[in-house]
Amino acid sequence: MKTTVSAMVLSAIATVAAAEDKVTIEFAYPYSHLFDVTYEAMMPAFKEAHPNIEVKFRSTYESYEDGTNTILREAVSGNLPDVTMQGLNRQQILVEKGIAQSLAPFIAKEADFATEGYHDAMLSLSTFGGDVHGLPFSVSLPVGYYNMDVLRAGGIEELPTTWDEVIAACETMKANGVQNPIFWGWNITGNWFMQALMWSQDQAIVENAAVTLDSPEALNALNQMQEIFTKCEMQNLEWKAALASFSAGDIGMMFWSTSALGAVERSQGEFELVTGPFPGMGEKPKGLPAGGNAAMLTSTSDDPRVQEAAWTWLKFITSGEGAAEVAKTTGYMPPNKAANEVILADFYDQNPNKQTAVDQLPLLRDWLAYPGDNGLAITQVIYDGIERIVTGDATDMQELQEELVEEVNDLLPNS
Amino acid sequence: MERRQRRAAWALTLPAVVLMGVILLLPVTVAAVLSFTDFSLGNDSFNWVGFKNYDRLFTRSTYAKMFVATFTYVVTVVPISVGLGLGAALLIQSLGRFRELYKTIYFLPVMATLLAMSIAWEFMLHPSIGMINRTLELGCGTVLEQVWPFMANGCAKTFPVWLGDKRYAIWVICFIGIWQGFGFNMVLYLAGLTGVHRELYHAAEMDGAKSGWERFRLVTWPALGPTTVFVVTISCIRAFQVFDTVEAFWPQGGGPNKSTYVMMFAIFEKGVQQNLIGAGASITVMFLVFVMILTLIQRWLVERKVHYG
Repeated sequence: MKTTVSAMVLSAIATVAAAEDKVTIEFAYPYSHLFDVTYEAMMPAFKEAHPNIEVKFRSTYESYEDGTNTILREAVSGNLPDVTMQGLNRQQILVEKGIAQSLAPFIAKEADFATEGYHDAMLSLSTFGGDVHGLPFSVSLPVGYYNMDVLRAGGIEELPTTWDEVIAACETMKANGVQNPIFWGWNITGNWFMQALMWSQDQAIVENAAVTLDSPEALNALNQMQEIFTKCEMQNLEWKAALASFSAGDIGMMFWSTSALGAVERSQGEFELVTGPFPGMGEKPKGLPAGGNAAMLTSTSDDPRVQEAAWTWLKFITSGEGAAEVAKTTGYMPPNKAANEVILADFYDQNPNKQTAVDQLPLLRDWLAYPGDNGLAITQVIYDGIERIVTGDATDMQELQEELVEEVNDLLPNS
Repeated sequence: MERRQRRAAWALTLPAVVLMGVILLLPVTVAAVLSFTDFSLGNDSFNWVGFKNYDRLFTRSTYAKMFVATFTYVVTVVPISVGLGLGAALLIQSLGRFRELYKTIYFLPVMATLLAMSIAWEFMLHPSIGMINRTLELGCGTVLEQVWPFMANGCAKTFPVWLGDKRYAIWVICFIGIWQGFGFNMVLYLAGLTGVHRELYHAAEMDGAKSGWERFRLVTWPALGPTTVFVVTISCIRAFQVFDTVEAFWPQGGGPNKSTYVMMFAIFEKGVQQNLIGAGASITVMFLVFVMILTLIQRWLVERKVHYG
């Protein structure tokens, strides 16, 4: 009798101890349609390796803009998550406002950080003021998605390499009865494709804290868009509707981030899907903006165990098997050398569609942040401007450019 | 004695007064004050910018679009949903059987969450795989094509991108608003109809009002006066508040060319999404002014005695 009681007491103490050891960290990420599967695939391995860390998922952010904005609000109301995934061009504002913590102290404690596959080129995407503030989790580049069945039916055999060829392909396909030849993803995060056309001409959209929308390259970009939209008679689809249409086999060519490749393949109808490099303006693009997101530490906990657990989670998802899941489940590239070269050694041979973006890696440029507090509002101005081209509301690109410059200047600091 | 009574009265109303101050007047004042600043959430300080936010409200094309969208919506949705609500109420009133069934059917959209319904509508309105355009395609090759230019055009090319075309977007929103809202008006009118005395109809008939229309014009419509004032006011306020559908269809941007950039969405976009609290607050103040005007008009009408009871 006595022994049973003491055994019970002992086991009770043990459970209490175990419960105390369990650390809970909160985590939030964007784009559930892309990443749900990724985190689901990662969780079993993480739970096995770190049984006493419980990761509580907050509701997902609708987009990068929504994610940044949510964090800014949570910083004011004091309920920040411990780890958040942020768009690469939205990290700066969180660093400036002191919401994202420097990871330097944690990295200093890691003995073999470099050998885990974190290399400088990728870490530079998240380095601000000399300190690493985030670990890039997934990196994407714009690519072309082609429905070969529709292309062949429209009389196109070869993938276009310039926008002129894309337009020519549109016209041939239209003549051959293809109603919906193209979707050009101008609405992806509102400004990414604008930056893609700017980088294609080797022009940064932000230079010395000024937005270069007044440059001739910006006008070229607007003109190029207008040409694509009008000559291809592109429908103004909401991007989710566009992805659905493409997956259903209705659209011939879709220009979008490689990130959606996993999602498109999962919902794809019966057709042959091929990806190709992002076309250029007259020649091969000179650069392309890196899309994607990085994990940032935003924990406000004083408990060193929570901080440690958050760092463990951060490291787990950005290296080794965790990072490899990114490539397996989405179209993103894990910015981790070890994951890319060892775990994913023959993965890209078996998945040539995912190879396209990897081939474009030499073109990788920064996805630039707009200076000041109003980055989100500036993005919206660009979005609204491009939408006016798509809907045919703006016909004079010179005039549109002037309006954009004026509106953006209103939102810049010291205006 | 009187003083004690007065003190008791104050003590008794105090909770209500405090609550009104804290949850109503204080936030409105804060919003009004913020509308004169350039406050951004997360910043420690802000600058006074005077009327700059209001100035932009009246000079920038974006806000012009906001007013156009909001008023188009209100002017379309209010009369139609009030009219349909009244019509449905009269029809149901005249029914012997199935009255409850019809009431339930028309009231269903009111009970359903508009946000969830928006997702269903989004699927139906999808340009190529949506139910609506698929149904329209069935009309191709029939007589419809000859008599209806819209149909001929759709069959020759493609049917509209309902949510991506600035010519249609606001009307789609209006349609959903009417579909969702008229059931509520119907219920209010049904309640109003029960208050119309039967004797009035008999009296009108004796005075020579033979047709149904006459009876409606002379008895029902005047007797429903108070109900109508209430229904119109509440419909107006609800129409000014439209947000869910716009947010669900176009989380970024407020519709093609901002054609559905309604006030509530503008407040949300400026104040919440972009952290431009000052701009958001100034739109909020404008919004409150509109609602206030509506309420005053209602008070005025009520005091002009639309009551016959």
